[in-house]
Amino acid sequence: MKEIPEQPLSRMPDNTAMKQQKLPAHHLRFSAKLVLSIFFGTGAFCLCMGVILILSAKKTKKVEINYTKICANCAEFRENAYNFDKECTCSIPFYLPQKMEGNVYMYYKLYGFYQNLYRYIQSRSNNQLTGEDVRDVENCAPFKVSRDGTPIAPCGAIANSMFNDTIILSYKLNSSVHIRVPMLKNGLTWWTDKYVKFQNPSFNDLPSKFAGSTKPPNWPKPVYELDKSNPDNNGFLNDDFIVWMRTAAFPTFKKLYRRLYRIHHFIQGLPAGNYSFNISYNFPVTRFQGEKAVVLSIPTWCGSGGFFLGIAYTVTGALTWLASFVLMAFHLTWKRKKKEVLQERSQASSRKAENTSGQ
Amino acid sequence: VERIVKANDREYNEKFQYADNRIHTSKYNIITFLPINLFEQFQRVANAYFLFLLILQLIPEISSLTWFTTIVPLVLVITMTAGKDATDDYFRHKSDNQVNNRQSEVLIDGKLQNEKWMNVKVGDIIKLENNQFVAADLLLLSSSEPHGLCYIETAELDGETNLKVRHALSVTSELGADISRLAKFDGTVVCEAPNNKLDKFTGVLSWKDSKHSLNNQKIILRGCVLRNTGWCFGMVIFAGPDTKLMQNSGKTKFKRTSIDRLMNTLVLWIFGFLVCLGIILAIGNSIWENQVGGQFRTSLFRNEEKKNFVFSGFLTFWSYIIVLNTVVPISLYVSMEVIRLGHSYFINWDRKMYYSGKAAPAEARTTTLNEELGQIEYVFSDKTGTLTQNIMTFKKCSINGRIYAGEEYGDPVQKKEITKKKEPVDFSEKSQAERSLQFFDHSLMESIKSGDPKVHEFFRVLALCHTVMSEEDSSGKLIYQVQSPDEGALVTAARNCGFIFKSRTPDSITIEELGTLVTYQLLAFLDFNNIRKRMSVIVRNPEGQIKLYSKGADTILFERLHPSSKDLLSLTSDHLSDFAGEGLRTLAIAYKDLDDKYFKEWHKMLEVASAAAHERDDQISQLYEEIERDLMLLGATAVEDKLQEGVIDTIASLSLANIKIWVLTGDKQETAINIGYACNMLTEDMNDVFVVAGNTVGEVREELRKAKESLPGQNHSILNAHAACGKEQQLEMASVGEEDTAPGDYALVINGHSLAHALESDVKSDLLELACLCKTVICCRVTPLQKAQVVELVKKHRNAVTLAIGDGANDVSMIKSAHIGVGISGQEGLQAVLASDYSFAQFRYLQRLLLVHGRWSYFRMCKFLRYFLYKNFAFTLVHFWYGFFCGFSAQTVYDQWFITLFNIVYTSLPVLAMGIFDQDVSDQNSMDCPQLYEPGQLNLLFNKHKFFICMAHGIYTSLALFFIPYGAFYSAAGEDGQHVADYQSFAVTMATSLVFVVSAQIALDTSYWTVINHVFIWGSIATYFCILFTTHSSDIFGMFPNQFPFVGNVWHSLTQKCVWLVILLTTVASVMPVVAFRFLKVDLYPTLTDQIRQRQKAQKKAKPVRRQRPQTRRSSSRRSGYAFAHQEGYGELITSGKNMRAKTPPPTSGLEKPLYNSTSWLENLCKKTTDTLSSFSQEKTVKL
Repeated sequence: MKEIPEQPLSRMPDNTAMKQQKLPAHHLRFSAKLVLSIFFGTGAFCLCMGVILILSAKKTKKVEINYTKICANCAEFRENAYNFDKECTCSIPFYLPQKMEGNVYMYYKLYGFYQNLYRYIQSRSNNQLTGEDVRDVENCAPFKVSRDGTPIAPCGAIANSMFNDTIILSYKLNSSVHIRVPMLKNGLTWWTDKYVKFQNPSFNDLPSKFAGSTKPPNWPKPVYELDKSNPDNNGFLNDDFIVWMRTAAFPTFKKLYRRLYRIHHFIQGLPAGNYSFNISYNFPVTRFQGEKAVVLSIPTWCGSGGFFLGIAYTVTGALTWLASFVLMAFHLTWKRKKKEVLQERSQASSRKAENTSGQ
Repeated sequence: VERIVKANDREYNEKFQYADNRIHTSKYNIITFLPINLFEQFQRVANAYFLFLLILQLIPEISSLTWFTTIVPLVLVITMTAGKDATDDYFRHKSDNQVNNRQSEVLIDGKLQNEKWMNVKVGDIIKLENNQFVAADLLLLSSSEPHGLCYIETAELDGETNLKVRHALSVTSELGADISRLAKFDGTVVCEAPNNKLDKFTGVLSWKDSKHSLNNQKIILRGCVLRNTGWCFGMVIFAGPDTKLMQNSGKTKFKRTSIDRLMNTLVLWIFGFLVCLGIILAIGNSIWENQVGGQFRTSLFRNEEKKNFVFSGFLTFWSYIIVLNTVVPISLYVSMEVIRLGHSYFINWDRKMYYSGKAAPAEARTTTLNEELGQIEYVFSDKTGTLTQNIMTFKKCSINGRIYAGEEYGDPVQKKEITKKKEPVDFSEKSQAERSLQFFDHSLMESIKSGDPKVHEFFRVLALCHTVMSEEDSSGKLIYQVQSPDEGALVTAARNCGFIFKSRTPDSITIEELGTLVTYQLLAFLDFNNIRKRMSVIVRNPEGQIKLYSKGADTILFERLHPSSKDLLSLTSDHLSDFAGEGLRTLAIAYKDLDDKYFKEWHKMLEVASAAAHERDDQISQLYEEIERDLMLLGATAVEDKLQEGVIDTIASLSLANIKIWVLTGDKQETAINIGYACNMLTEDMNDVFVVAGNTVGEVREELRKAKESLPGQNHSILNAHAACGKEQQLEMASVGEEDTAPGDYALVINGHSLAHALESDVKSDLLELACLCKTVICCRVTPLQKAQVVELVKKHRNAVTLAIGDGANDVSMIKSAHIGVGISGQEGLQAVLASDYSFAQFRYLQRLLLVHGRWSYFRMCKFLRYFLYKNFAFTLVHFWYGFFCGFSAQTVYDQWFITLFNIVYTSLPVLAMGIFDQDVSDQNSMDCPQLYEPGQLNLLFNKHKFFICMAHGIYTSLALFFIPYGAFYSAAGEDGQHVADYQSFAVTMATSLVFVVSAQIALDTSYWTVINHVFIWGSIATYFCILFTTHSSDIFGMFPNQFPFVGNVWHSLTQKCVWLVILLTTVASVMPVVAFRFLKVDLYPTLTDQIRQRQKAQKKAKPVRRQRPQTRRSSSRRSGYAFAHQEGYGELITSGKNMRAKTPPPTSGLEKPLYNSTSWLENLCKKTTDTLSSFSQEKTVKL
């Protein structure tokens, strides 16, 4: 009779679990048993972990020498701009009471150096560093080009501010013989950094690769002369350079400088005895109230992070256990109370029901 | 502004540039889509905010994030929204096209041509055929019926399904179907400008030097359907957007949920918080610049001047605004929309809300209000068609002191039969008995057959005393046209019992009494009105006896009985109260033998009185009083106003859920009260039912005051307390068991007149206060506008979430003004459904919609929001902590890609899955335990308090996330002596920890683990690693060395044991406290939900115990069940014969007579019908 189109005969929605919201499902519910056992388990695990970590952290041997104050005269010397091409060395003797067994790593550590400033981190050109195009200095402000307009290689603030102290460790074999402790300059970097992220431009002759570019203003020598002793450790592939370019997360950081070459006397590591650091002081930190230190350490199975992680695990574990005892106590006492209340209530209600039905 | 239209003259009409008949409900076309849609989208605060951020990021001085961190999510979000808008608009285009391409016959160049609707122009003459939709607003010119009459159905306009009469001017109706004359018709219509008044039209037609005034009676509106009329011609007056239908379709109010509003406030708060953080960091930056940075910077950037540290702080502020912008996640709004959309689909898909009777599934017409369904406090319900089926069935009767009760057969076939009221005319008594299954009591049939005179007389009254019109349709079936469904039920009952009303003329009634045709002479018709509450006919039977047959309210009739009926009276009275107790509508039936002489005298007096100039009505009613005395009681009828299925259960369960149900009906007070009893909203053991029926403001106020005073221990201050803490109390109590909290049950019944006064400003509060203390509120005789006003009143002053449910056009206003409007679909009128936000076919589905879908939606949305805010706080605030270690330089902790993808890829799906699929308790339990609904009403799951908890939780997690890695990495080195404390490794460690922590958190939050949750949660972690490895791969670095500087990082970091130890510790430290708190909360202060869940788990297989609902207790206190949906004035129509159809003129009247005064009676008829119809449309008592 009507013109209105007839509705399709079956508009009945499909009877699928999805549409009827009947998908088979697991209800997540915390029973006391489950929660308490999780808590005890986690607590136990954290405590164990904490103890292990603390013990292993204790075993790590570490020598850290802050040479900011010790080499203060060098710092003053450096403040004077006329001395930029003169060397200033300073020697720091120290005594190693116990030998350091294993792979000893030498780090330099900087305090108050903000490698994580936003503009600082941005000021680099990955494109240039891959060797694709030495002239690509796009993101490198304010160190894109030198005064005469030549692009800087490596450009940017990070590269410009590269750590350039030379630290030499020498061992006093006896009162007269000082041995320079053999240190390796390679193997300091991540594989990907050395082989993917940093590449020299593809020419045979290094200086010609960097033709048309100039050194960063703070550097005394161009990038292809970073390590004169080893031609392969030059240009963008210089290990020290790569390490520096991996910016630190916090204003206090240490970076790997050298690792022990385990030969002769040092095949076991560093023997106990008198040592000295001979530092050629170049890197200025006093201008911004920063500090410098040199660190010798042997990492454990979980790195050299100090006690924090161990303590954190122990504390967490202890707290978890504490919490689980509290939970258990609450659970048990309240359960009893609740039962009583419920019983009372049910009695009351049944009485009431009786009354009403009696009416 | 006037409109001038000349018929058949397109050129003339074009001058005015009237809108043509094409309608556009669509917003865009292909060209305008992009600009308009983008413009609209950026008007939203959130989008504008992200655009602003994007612009900030483009300023190199302050940019701290690369542009893609904002633009990728923004583009994604905008594309998604645009996609949704485009599909919506596509469907609008489609429906527009469908309508615009409908065919109609248009008179062009003297020929009838088929033309698309959209090409119809103002001034065209178009031809309509029976059952066609009207294409535009037409001036009716002529029709197939005599006098240019035509019948239309206006269901689409006002929801009324009864036919309305329109008739053409006599000058134009002469044109008939003569095409050539119609083509020459060149009348000019001057009329009002387009407006939205459906029942008003003023205009003048000038044709052939004479002017004819036009009114609404000559206009057929677009949206109507032509009925019972072969064809008609009309001239287009308004077309397309100018038609009254389109003008009326008004803009639907933009509804927003309370969670939305809360979120807007919270977003502002968050923004304030963000600014605070920005300021702190900016100050920090100034200090740092001043003390450290100045020297440091100059040493780093040699060629740079020492900067002004205040300015540097200022720039830092903006940089941090950019870095920290993720606390207001762009994906939040989109995710909310997606979740709501999902919930809407669940509503559409629910088989338990599908009504097979009408093939009507439930439909969520708006997809943005779902969680509000879980917060409803007040339900405003229409009565007719919503609570009741608008089907009256004759249930019981008491004849001469004996009850005859029919059994009920819930057979759909019968229902159809009753609604259509069709039965073959010529069937024998036996075949009738078979057809009358619906009322079937053997003893009654036996009484009829045995010829009990009282029983016969009883049914004779039913067959004679009514205003029903009969009609035979083409197949010879007898069709009753009833004015009130009660009467229909009674007459049908009489027919089923062998007393078949066959036909009537103005002065005779023919019935078939047990197979024999009997014609009664109708001597007088004592019409019904609200004061008399009764109706009588005086007839002379073939034997020459004069009888008065009367039916009416028991209370009225019993006062007028002959003393000899006393015994019967008390017996019948008992029966009546039984009937009333069951919520049936009762009428008492009586008769009286009249003396010939007495009647003649009386009749003369009546004639005099009718001619009287003054106080005519008074005199007449006095005469009526006089003759309706000393009646002999016959018995009583009980008619059931059939409730929709499951209404009682639904109402009971909704009120257990602390939802207050107010019935707003256009019906009479008695009818409304009756329904109140029928569906247990009113019960006999209520302490009091206040009936407010004052006529002046003073009276109403007085009545309200009095009612309030009679409430024990109520004072004004208790109201708020009741609203706020009363519920919490109830909630607690509910967990123990049901206890009576209310001091007593009260109900308020208020009628439309009083309501009009009560809604005035100073009485309002009294009304509201009283109404809120009452358990049940029934407003009767209310106009559609009043319905809306009541809703607005509650909405505004109670600050509660309201829902209005109705089926007819008269409910549209309240449906639109309530927070949520629900339309009953499957009815013929579509208005309510079109205006509604949700629609389904049966009132009972409201229970499932609210208690299951609403509750779940609210629960899920709250959970989603809590988690989402937490997640973003945890994610973003690490930047704040990091600020203190990076010289406040706005350096981000994470990789830029991680920031870009975190919200939209790594964490979006698990939380979406939770937001869409999570269930705390099963649907069955939600239905069984309506108390579970209350947290939504009290806003317990997400409010400002919860927001601060989320924030605190987020801050805690961010602290753990930042400081554990910080402590561990502080000047640390890896196992191989190389870096771990470099920025990139730190970023990767943090990001991985964060992904683990938030995934663990969502895993804890998800209480209903479906396959989808598994896939999404594990999948998200897997995706994180996939993307991590991809962005850190050397291949992608080779292609974009500047965009992906993290090359190789993941291998170095994630092979370090200490990195994993850090991640593990972070996860444990962030998640364990949450587990502990949750456990304690559930263990010590379990909410009802927790208990149910526990029970659900415990007895997964055992069938849940259904809560015992309070049974209706019937008391024997006497209550009149009188209710009668009848309008005054039909008696006059019947005796004048005016409403006899023109097609079938009364057989007694001569053929010559009518033509002469046809116009006058026709006009009269039209006036009458419109009067009554318009009153119907207001009161909505009758639907044919």
